Order: sequence, then structure tokens, then C-alpha cells
Amino acid sequence: MKISKKIIKNLKMGGVNFYLSVPCKLLANMIEILEKDKSIYYSSVPREEEGMGICAGAYLGRKLPCIMMQNTGLGNSVNAIVSLLQLYNLPVIFLVSYRGMPGEQVSAQGGMAKITKEILDTLKIPTLHCSTEKDLDNIKTYTDHAKIMESPVAILCDFQLMKDDK
Amino acid sequence: MNRFDLLKTIQSQLKNKLVICNIGLPSQELYKINDKPNYFYMLGSMGLSSSIGLGLAISQKKNVISIDGDGSVLMNMSTLSTIGNRAPNNFTLLIIDNGSYGSTGDQRTFTSEKTSLKEVAIASGCKKVIECSGKKTASELLKAFKDKKNSYVIIAKVKSGNIKVKPIPLNPITIRDRFRKLIN
Repeated sequence: MKISKKIIKNLKMGGVNFYLSVPCKLLANMIEILEKDKSIYYSSVPREEEGMGICAGAYLGRKLPCIMMQNTGLGNSVNAIVSLLQLYNLPVIFLVSYRGMPGEQVSAQGGMAKITKEILDTLKIPTLHCSTEKDLDNIKTYTDHAKIMESPVAILCDFQLMKDDK
Repeated sequence: MNRFDLLKTIQSQLKNKLVICNIGLPSQELYKINDKPNYFYMLGSMGLSSSIGLGLAISQKKNVISIDGDGSVLMNMSTLSTIGNRAPNNFTLLIIDNGSYGSTGDQRTFTSEKTSLKEVAIASGCKKVIECSGKKTASELLKAFKDKKNSYVIIAKVKSGNIKVKPIPLNPITIRDRFRKLIN
């Protein structure tokens, strides 16, 4: 739980107070933490694209929203990111589990893993790639960046970093 | 009664509400009737009007209405289950159901064949679901806004058809800023 706790603590320190998730086993601990936390809003959501819309509304309602999802969810959300979040300059934090990276046992996850960074680059989304626990210390810098630039940012968490966070 | 007639009929009820209006002709028609800072016009991301409204309603206390269409709800059908499980009492979803994709040339949608959004909404867990003819929408909306204990999904059946309108000349950041200023 150490890594998951640290991620949530740093997100909250950055002012994130509205959380959605489309589940991933690497995010399971964080979901458990958020479900018990009465100081923030948390809900699951059936699909990432829909979650982008809910996050947009939450920002209009003066919250700082975060959507947690697998990297596959980025693929489901491209138009919502470009034609909603970026069109209206709406800061939303994407907490993305980097499935398909070394250590991954499910071969089907490999395809999206190969293009995840290219998608984020193409969409020009500032990305914090977390491979070690120390990288998590930069989370607040990125949530601040989202607020200042009024832009979505991504926090990409490696498979290896998350997989043993029991 | 078509969408434009319906929007004219309900326009006075949108006062003091935070309005999320669907992309394309619905927003352009609403703009033509009466432009207001409490109207958030969608310029992209078809399907997400109900989701944006839901996120906004959860995040603050003012009444929120999402004006949506049958084609858009069909594109983001899981929104009805999220609304059924999570919508707070200050949220109303108005689906203007004309059985067609108005903004793209009035191609028929599945609500003009076998699909009932009313049944989908009920099965998704939405408690107060009302299907009405366009004319009755104003009184149903009034009921929804007065009821402080329930969220509503109102499906207003209207005829297909559009009026001639131009693209909205507002910058997206202007739409965002004047809308967000109304929220503390």
C-alpha cells in the first residue's frame, strides 16, 4: 500500500479533490483508499471518455479532478481530451497505470503500451513518468502545472512500480 | 413542435440554472433564441453533455440542466447508469428526442425504431423518468426543478427538423470563463 498511499497523499497535497476511476488491478489499492476517504469525492465510472466529461463538469464546478485509468483508457478518450478538455482549457489530472510494460503477464496489453507515450506526445500532454518511488515526489509539481497552464497532465505509473504494492 | 420550438418554450425556465447544451444545432438554436452566460455551449465532444452536467451538479449546489439529444445519449449510453447511481438532486437531464441526428442531416436514430431511452433510463436505475410530448416539457421541467429530493430524466418527444442557424461566434475560453464566474 506504500506506493498507493503516497500517490494519493501527493495528489491531495496538489489540491485534487474529485476522483473517478475505471478500474485496473494496479489501481485497486488506490481505489480502496479513496472509497474510505470522506474528505474528497470518489466514484467509479463505466468508461473513460464519459469520465472526461464528468471531470470537465467538476472543474467548471470549482473542483480539481483526477481520472484514474489504464493506458488503454487514453485510447478511449482522445476526442474528449482534444475537443473538450483542451478546447476549453480544462485542467484534469490523468493517473494512468502503464500496463504492458516489462513485468506484464498479459500479452494483449503490449499493443497500447507501445504507443502510450506517442499518444501523450501527440496530444501534447505534459507527462510525469514514474518508475521509482522517488518520482512520485514530483506529483504536486505536475498538478500545479495543470492549474497554471489550465491543461490536462498525465501521471504515468510503471507496471513494475505498482505490481508489488501489496 | 420541433427542437427549436421546444427550446423557445422552455427558455424562460432556464433562468438561474446552469445549462449544459449539446453540440451542434441545439447550442446554435439556443444561442439564436437568447444568449446567456449561464449557457455552456458545447463546441465538440458529442455525447458528453449529460456527463459534463453530472460532474457539475455533483461539484456544487446550484440547479444544473443538461440539454441532450437522442443521438448523443445513444453514443454515451453508460451515462444513464452513472446518472441512475450517482446523480444528486440538483441535476436534470433533458433529452430532446426527435429520432434523428439533426446536426448531420436528419438521419434517423434507433429511437425512431425500437429503442426506448425511457426504458433504458429506468433499467439503469434512474428513479424519476418522464417521457412527454414536446408541449408538456415546460410543466414537467417545472416539477423537476421544484422537487429538491430527486433528480429527473425527461425525454421530450418532438418532430425532426431544424432552423437555419450559424456557428456560435464565441471563443471557447469566453464560454468557459463567463459560465464559471457564476459558480462560487
